[in-house]
Amino acid sequence: MTEVYSIEPLVIKIPYEIEYRHSYGETSPFFLNIAQGKLTATRCDHCKMTYLPPRGDCPICLRETRWIEIPDVGRVHSFSTMFFAGEKFLKDIPFSLAYIEFDGVDTVFLTRLKTNDPKKLKIGMKVKMHMSRDVEWKASDVWAEPI
Amino acid sequence: MIILPRKVAMVSGGLTYFSKARRDKTQEALAAEAARMALFENDINLEKEDIDGSVVSYFSDHFENQLLFGATIHDYLGLNPKPSVRIEGGGATGGLAIREAYAQVASGLLDVVMVIGFEKMSEVNTSKGNEFIALASDTDFDFPIGGFYSGYYALMAQRHMHEFGTTEEQMAMVAVKNRNNAQYNKFAQTNSKMNPYGMKNMGKITIDDVLKSPYVAYPLKRLDICLMSDGAAVAILASEEKAKKITDDPVWIIGSGVGTDAMRAGDRPRKRGGVPLLPHEKKEWYSNLEYPGIHSFRAGREAARQAYKQAGITNPLKQIDLIELHDAYTSSEIQTYEDLGLTKYGGGGKLVEEGVTQIDGDLPVNPSGGLIGSMHAVGATGVMQAVEAFWQLQGKAGKFHGSDKTQVKGAETAMIHSHAGTGTYVAVTIMRR
Repeated sequence: MTEVYSIEPLVIKIPYEIEYRHSYGETSPFFLNIAQGKLTATRCDHCKMTYLPPRGDCPICLRETRWIEIPDVGRVHSFSTMFFAGEKFLKDIPFSLAYIEFDGVDTVFLTRLKTNDPKKLKIGMKVKMHMSRDVEWKASDVWAEPI
Repeated sequence: MIILPRKVAMVSGGLTYFSKARRDKTQEALAAEAARMALFENDINLEKEDIDGSVVSYFSDHFENQLLFGATIHDYLGLNPKPSVRIEGGGATGGLAIREAYAQVASGLLDVVMVIGFEKMSEVNTSKGNEFIALASDTDFDFPIGGFYSGYYALMAQRHMHEFGTTEEQMAMVAVKNRNNAQYNKFAQTNSKMNPYGMKNMGKITIDDVLKSPYVAYPLKRLDICLMSDGAAVAILASEEKAKKITDDPVWIIGSGVGTDAMRAGDRPRKRGGVPLLPHEKKEWYSNLEYPGIHSFRAGREAARQAYKQAGITNPLKQIDLIELHDAYTSSEIQTYEDLGLTKYGGGGKLVEEGVTQIDGDLPVNPSGGLIGSMHAVGATGVMQAVEAFWQLQGKAGKFHGSDKTQVKGAETAMIHSHAGTGTYVAVTIMRR
């Protein structure tokens, strides 16, 4: 039965549910490697660039990249604590996000920064990357924690 | 300077009242409300049948839950069987739509084009709306960890503070400026007094109000963040020959630029000395700055560089009289001052602090109230900016707004700045009376 939100003007509620069969395609190894406890990025030997999140093709020269393992220790490039979120993540607030710099990686990587004390977070602080043992095959399978 | 085949003028504009929820009308009727204002309230000699085609500007199929909505709008306005195209580019949708219409007229493809921008964000609740907007970020890596736009902008603002010493107080000054300008614009969603569809009990705010408003994502607070709106905006562009017949007071489009950057802000380069320079800038200013990093919008810089080149702007602060700037966040208005070359990189916070961008300053920014004070009905936003700039240059902003306080006196050159994603697309248009 249609649920009515208001009569004047007439506003009805329309539920909408969808299941995507979403392929990670060329970036599948990133998620599969996390399940093995390995953080991997892609490298273009021609441009000497390393990408994390991975790119299957180098955006500079468009040659195919190769997978490399990267260290699981990095530094906070920027951070913020969320007190609001999209509907899907409201249950998680408050939580912190951070861009992480890794030696040898040319991009910064956005991830959850898990801490019990968000007031102590600062730019430049060292973090260790943690990987879920109970993977959901999502980017949330990896996160950072202060060392 | 770049010379296109034909000169193009904006000859008319119209807006709806903006609101958190305009449930009284469908999207197509909102478009008609704005189109009627453009056709009947601008003292022009133009019949509806003189319009040669439309560009329809809306952002999200998710909000509207109707694919091919461009056709619905074009049909409802009775423009069949004339040509039409839908433009989408996130937050920059409206600015890109204005550029599309400009290109169609400049090229000689059409003589008179109506740009129709709209969005109806009240079709879903606010947190679902934030989720839909977050789908305009990378959905494999940035969204699944809880990323959403206020979060991304908070991370960028934090880095801007770290690099340049920008403060939460300076950001609050932007919020106060834009919100308080909106109190003299009857179309503005936060204008409780003049807008019959306005939000209740909004009105003017102080720096203290902003600083005490709850954090959404540190350092951004509730009052640092733009609105979500329902509404529509219409702009009519015409060739020189037609424009002179339509109005005695055409406003010429003299520059257009679009810049782009990585979908994920973290993928942007961090290259020392990598700033694309504007004519008045010196290389040594930025030799030690990692650019663009996550603190600056290279797309905004690039869009401005192109538009300035076309328009012959060599000193934007002196040569431009007002800007309608995409203030999705107070921090991004400050960042954008720098991208547009109104001050050196790092000087954005100081610029607002010195009052330069106030309505009575040297270069007023967002006299309409912008996205923080007036509206952000995404697909309508860039078109609204064009309408605002048009009325300002015709000296009619006060008349349309219902208060003389928003009119920038003697304005001859205006710029509009339309921005998407984390700085993914930026469209800049320069207009001159």
